[in-house]
Amino acid sequence: MSQSTPDRTFDTASLVEDFNLRRLGQYVLIIFFIGFFLAPLETGLMTAFKTNEAVARSIPLAPPFGDQFTLDNLQFALQELSGAFFNSLFMAIPATIGSVLFGSMAAYGLTMVRWRYQMVMLVLFLVGIFVPYQAVLVPLARFWNNIFPLASMVAPIFETLPVLEGYHANLVPLMITHIAYGIPICTILFRSYYQSLPNSLVEAGKIDGASITKIYRRIVLPISKPMFGVVFIYQFTQIYNEFLFAFTLVTGADTLEAPVTLILPAIGASTSGIDFGIRMSASFLAAIPTLIIYIAFAEQFAKGLRTESG
Amino acid sequence: MGQITISDLTKRFGDTTAVDGLDLEIRDGEFLVLVGPSGCGKSTTLRMIAGLETVTDGDIHIAGDHMNYRVPQNRNIAMVFQDYALYPHMTVRGNIGFGLESEPDYTASERAERVEEIAETLDIADLLDRKPGELSGGQQQRVALGRAIVRDPEVFLMDEPLSNLDAKLRAEMRTELQQLQDRFGVTTVYVTHNQTEAMTMGDRIAVMDDGELQQVGEPLELYHAPANRFVAGFIGEPMMNFVEGTIEDGRFVGRHIEYPFDDEMQSSVSHDTDVVLGVRPEDIELHQAPDGDGRLDDHEFGVAVSVVEPHGNQNVVHVSTASESDTGDLLQVVTDGTTLLESGTAVVASIDPDTVHVFDGETGDALHNRRRDTEEVLV
Repeated sequence: MSQSTPDRTFDTASLVEDFNLRRLGQYVLIIFFIGFFLAPLETGLMTAFKTNEAVARSIPLAPPFGDQFTLDNLQFALQELSGAFFNSLFMAIPATIGSVLFGSMAAYGLTMVRWRYQMVMLVLFLVGIFVPYQAVLVPLARFWNNIFPLASMVAPIFETLPVLEGYHANLVPLMITHIAYGIPICTILFRSYYQSLPNSLVEAGKIDGASITKIYRRIVLPISKPMFGVVFIYQFTQIYNEFLFAFTLVTGADTLEAPVTLILPAIGASTSGIDFGIRMSASFLAAIPTLIIYIAFAEQFAKGLRTESG
Repeated sequence: MGQITISDLTKRFGDTTAVDGLDLEIRDGEFLVLVGPSGCGKSTTLRMIAGLETVTDGDIHIAGDHMNYRVPQNRNIAMVFQDYALYPHMTVRGNIGFGLESEPDYTASERAERVEEIAETLDIADLLDRKPGELSGGQQQRVALGRAIVRDPEVFLMDEPLSNLDAKLRAEMRTELQQLQDRFGVTTVYVTHNQTEAMTMGDRIAVMDDGELQQVGEPLELYHAPANRFVAGFIGEPMMNFVEGTIEDGRFVGRHIEYPFDDEMQSSVSHDTDVVLGVRPEDIELHQAPDGDGRLDDHEFGVAVSVVEPHGNQNVVHVSTASESDTGDLLQVVTDGTTLLESGTAVVASIDPDTVHVFDGETGDALHNRRRDTEEVLV
């Protein structure tokens, strides 16, 4: 019983055997890159919880000790951003749903339904992806301000609604712009997915007497759930983080309807210098919604990527 | 009721003609098998009947109504797809019931009842709440059938529905499909490239090749009296033997064999033409080669066994010419499974003139078919 089994003893010699320079090099590289990518994050997170004095005196990477620690930055940032959070989500969520839904519909129409000139339409969608943002900024602003002042049209309605204020109406043009700009890329993403689906599903639906819309609603839409996850995450991140359109159409950080991306550059900056603690806190707070979306859709995301590549 | 009339049906995809001037009459309640090699236009024809493909030229009538411009749901048809095309996110119940939703005469409870009834018929009642992904191939096949029969259509269209099943299940489903069709008496058009399915299942078979209809007829008619070389070669397993040659002095002269024609055969072929001799493998008999220099009969040839494929109930024997220089296979012969033959053995093959088909060497049309007056009827 006291016999020792060979696999129980620790073989020191094997360590030396396994050791080689190539492997070591790989690990060094990996650790270097982990540090490279994580150091700024660590710095930011630590700075967010430090008092102004501690920020000035301690190493940025070091965690706050004792009286260096404070939640004031976070509190202040939250207070500053709370309105902007609402504005951003109020604009980004409908815009995301809209562009994803319309993109999926367009892809269905361009892929699974046969009609004349659909190639021409597809080309138009493709062109839509490549129109640079900068080229449309001025026409866009003029359109929403002078030609079709939608914001001032819907403002009176918004005033009568609960929760919303009149100034939220200024986000509606931005929302629609994002939907319009999001449709082409969403369409292309969905198209590649729909092309991989067997055509016989649609044909079976036709034989079963379903109309084109019913086939979409009852067959194609439920089947494309995983793809919705992927496109939704992508599109939400894009719209939530977008700055240029927001800056053009909403104009400034001092307006009440400014989304997070407009507030962020201005927060913690004053004539007396930059308050890094507040800035970092605000940055982390601003990132939270996208993180939540990633976690919420993680399973769908993985499934969608799998189905698309497979 | 469910009679289908197809006249001069043509389908072109750009420059290629998939179906070329097809005329076909499918009787009410008939099980018609459309058979042919891949790319012969059989599936396209089926899809045109279904309304999934537009018609370039010609007409389709179902039950006397002109169908060319009707959408599938107004044709009163049901279709079973090769990959079943079950809706993956719906339960079996949802899959079978989906088609009923578009039927105006059903209330929700009647619909549920009808689905149960069909599931009962197909023996899948216990699977109703599962999703297609959880079912075996055979079960999925049944669900696909259920989806087709639930709406009580006038015409069933089936596009190679058994090709994804393993051999044993395929044989089972073959019988079951026939029983179902008998029971419902619905006109059925069944597309397959498998000649066994065609022979065993069809009331009639339509053979297509290269977009054109080659022959329509009852299975045995196609087997014994093929209209041309293509049909003769396509129907029957192993394939009919073909030997190319010419007619000289009332004799068939091929590269390796000569075969004297009797009067009846001579009258159907003209002199000096290229012809193809066709003989079914089971119509050739192999004898032991006579010792020494024994004289062979007119319809006998000395050959050598090259390969023997045992199938248990029968052997498929490939024989080649007796000469050493040319070892190419000449004929395939089906022999009794208990007859033992070794490759290399010299044997005598004899072919009864009654069993010989003669085809035109150029057009492939049948000039002479085997005698069939010896058919026995078993009572």
